[in-house]
Amino acid sequence: MTSVLILLLLALGAYLVAVLEAWIASGHLSLATPMLAGIALLGRESIVPRKPDRIFFEVGPVLLLISALLAAVVVPLTPNLIITDLATGALFINAALVYVLVALLMAGWGPDGAYAMVGGWRFLGQLIAYAMLIVMPITAVAMRAESLLTTQIVVSQAGLWNIVYQPVGFALFFVAAMALAFLPPFDLPTATGELAGGVEAEYSGVRLAVLRLGRLVLIITLAAATVVFYLGGWQGPWLPPWAWSALKILAVTATMLLAGRAMPRIREADLLAWCWKLGIPLALLNIFLVGVLVLVFP
Amino acid sequence: MIVGARQGTMTRLRRLVSVSMAREFSTFLIPGPDIARAHGLDIAAAGIQLSASPRHASALLVIGAVPPAMLKAAVVVYAQMMRPRAIFVLGAEDISPLPSADIATGLSQQDLIEGMHQLRTLFAEGAFRPDMSDFDAPVLQTRIEYTCPMHPEVVQSEPGSCPKCGMTLMPRQAQATTGHNHTNHKEVDATANEQTVSSHDHKHHHSMAHDAPTKYTCPMHPEVVQSEPGSCPKCGMTLVPREALATQTHELADMDHGSMDHGAMAFMSMIDVTQDLPRSIDGLPMEWIEVPFGPFFPGLPGGLLLMLTLDGDTVAASDAHTLIENNDFPSGEPMDIASFAEHLTGMDPLVPVSYRLLACRALENAAQVDVFADIARARIGAQERERIASHLGWLALFGRQTGFDWLMRRAASLQLKVQNADFQQVVALRPEITVLMKRLHWTPLLKSRTVGIGRLVSDAKLRGPVARASGICEDARSKDKIYEMLGFTSAVGQGGDAFSRLHVRLEEIFHSLALIEAAGAIALPVPATIGNESGKGEAVVESPRGMARLELTLENGRVSAAQLDTPSTHHLTLIDQLTEQQELADALLAVGSLDLSPWEIQQ
Repeated sequence: MTSVLILLLLALGAYLVAVLEAWIASGHLSLATPMLAGIALLGRESIVPRKPDRIFFEVGPVLLLISALLAAVVVPLTPNLIITDLATGALFINAALVYVLVALLMAGWGPDGAYAMVGGWRFLGQLIAYAMLIVMPITAVAMRAESLLTTQIVVSQAGLWNIVYQPVGFALFFVAAMALAFLPPFDLPTATGELAGGVEAEYSGVRLAVLRLGRLVLIITLAAATVVFYLGGWQGPWLPPWAWSALKILAVTATMLLAGRAMPRIREADLLAWCWKLGIPLALLNIFLVGVLVLVFP
Repeated sequence: MIVGARQGTMTRLRRLVSVSMAREFSTFLIPGPDIARAHGLDIAAAGIQLSASPRHASALLVIGAVPPAMLKAAVVVYAQMMRPRAIFVLGAEDISPLPSADIATGLSQQDLIEGMHQLRTLFAEGAFRPDMSDFDAPVLQTRIEYTCPMHPEVVQSEPGSCPKCGMTLMPRQAQATTGHNHTNHKEVDATANEQTVSSHDHKHHHSMAHDAPTKYTCPMHPEVVQSEPGSCPKCGMTLVPREALATQTHELADMDHGSMDHGAMAFMSMIDVTQDLPRSIDGLPMEWIEVPFGPFFPGLPGGLLLMLTLDGDTVAASDAHTLIENNDFPSGEPMDIASFAEHLTGMDPLVPVSYRLLACRALENAAQVDVFADIARARIGAQERERIASHLGWLALFGRQTGFDWLMRRAASLQLKVQNADFQQVVALRPEITVLMKRLHWTPLLKSRTVGIGRLVSDAKLRGPVARASGICEDARSKDKIYEMLGFTSAVGQGGDAFSRLHVRLEEIFHSLALIEAAGAIALPVPATIGNESGKGEAVVESPRGMARLELTLENGRVSAAQLDTPSTHHLTLIDQLTEQQELADALLAVGSLDLSPWEIQQ
């Protein structure tokens, strides 16, 4: 029952992300836009390119969707509204999202088109940049909660949210999450002006619909994870827990979507250099500081 | 009913789908958003979503008179669109070889909005049709040929087995077109891109010093060796000096094929597979792929075809040309003055005023007519207004290329406002322009994205903002007396990279605003009345892209010969040095920062 409810909520969340995205892009708020766009995609031809790697081509979009859904399994929306409260939940999110890379590589390789291929491999470089900055801040979060249980992580923030307790970790995780969801300015694999859509360029019709749905679910899952790790999850005064979760997740999503519009796309070389030369030392510093705080104020 | 409907009967479900498709519509623009704005069309205000890839577009918008080579390329784009698909033509007469247009209207914002409305209605009613035939055109014809996976030089039109190793030949498509947009090949397909491949010279192979007479060989076919440069008789690739490939060719050429012939290819080692491939500068053997960027690429000006040979995501070689045939003097016949001025005005839709002014000045110079100072000032007003609009248009393209959405929208809408504004309106736009500039100043990542990209040192080829960004204080306006009176100073930058070019253009926008305010009026140049004069005349104009020069001969009041020299023609030749060994995104940014106009390039 919980699973069905969470899946429905995820679908609703993905839909709202699409509404938000269309609103930000066009300036007009229309609740029907994503639905119409979805139906329109289903009505269009979906062709297979000339010399595809058929398995990769078909599996890529589906795997992206599955990977994002898997990560959502351990994200609690209220104390009881969680599909499975794994003992290794915080780590599981990271493990599930590794398949985002595999999915994009497959989707890039599959159609045998240059734009898609470059886009897919670009994301491999991107993974090398963001991967450590997802894991290391989560480590510091788990240190404070003394647990990898996602529900326990939320409970540990009862007095003080992690965004205040470890702001450096939050900043790093937020940026890395945007890079993982290939949102602008980290949209290297799907860059419009550089690769004419990149990984998405050769997909059409129903396959494109699945690929885009996967991306939307990925965004909402990452926003939910950010809320659980840093923004105190369902906690908050006056409103019921589910409302707090929903509000916080939507706020994080909107910030992620808005940030990229105000700046040009990052250079891949810069992304790698900054993540490794600046991001990782900062993440280590964050772990150290949290360690000291945990010891001094147990 | 639309011409490119999808096959199927119109059931109730399909009707619902059609209505959705009509509501959510994305379009692909030919030649591109830059030309749409030049014609005063506000794409965003008409509620049109732009699509980056033809695969995702439902409608093809053809805007204005489109040259034949571009229409041919548009056919390939159309063929790549998914059905149902429609064609909407604004202001063009004949669009063959494209199929007939679903909607054809004039070229105005009103027409655009009404046409889109009609198109949506058509889509809702006729997105599906039971009797559909495939669209085909000679441009799209492909021929199947058979080749051996191990011996690429074996190509024949019939299936069979390889005469060298006996393997079954694999079919592949040999395409006979050149102006394609999104056709991608995993391998350097020499038959497909023969024309462009042969014009490359792989410069980095020349780097090794040698004294002995150079022998040339084909990177793909080591058995081809000759003493003169040229192209390979087997695949048409440009031959490279043999020293560059010495390590592979000298020792391995015989062994390679020798061992393969004896059936040793049961195990395909990486060395065997890659040893004949051209070498990158970093020594890592990778497949080189030749990828077309354009002629309708979202991040480049519409009509420019940039062929990049990619080694991974590094550019190994490039070739750029325009699909627009440009003739400064269309017919051998003498032209009357008015139609000559009109011809030059229409030549480059991106900067009509500059070329009109150039024509007027050259004519006046030939006839030795002087214009009144107030007319000259008003002309400067018009030209500087065009400079602001053109630089804003470049900013919009820069925004689109780098995914800087806000800039793309803001600059595009400002360009539309400035373009045809009168004096008061231009002056009133100053605050809005100032806000845009301030915002750019504080934009994160903008500096790191552009600094050091596309660096150019001073070179005689550089013109206009590109030259001034490299510290060359060259500006045709600085020699003009009236400009001097208006208090003109030229904007000079340093660094010669994309960042510097961006800043020079931003500064010039402000300078132009000040010049317009000082000029006090805006009026389009009109050719002066010239009697039956004869003589030679020349003139220069500092167009937004740099100095353009026109020389012409008048015979009895008619233009009998003319010769034009445009900035983009010179800048096009810089692309090789700008892109070589650059990462793809950096290479594209460097090309974009030149602000090429495919319409003024003379080939």
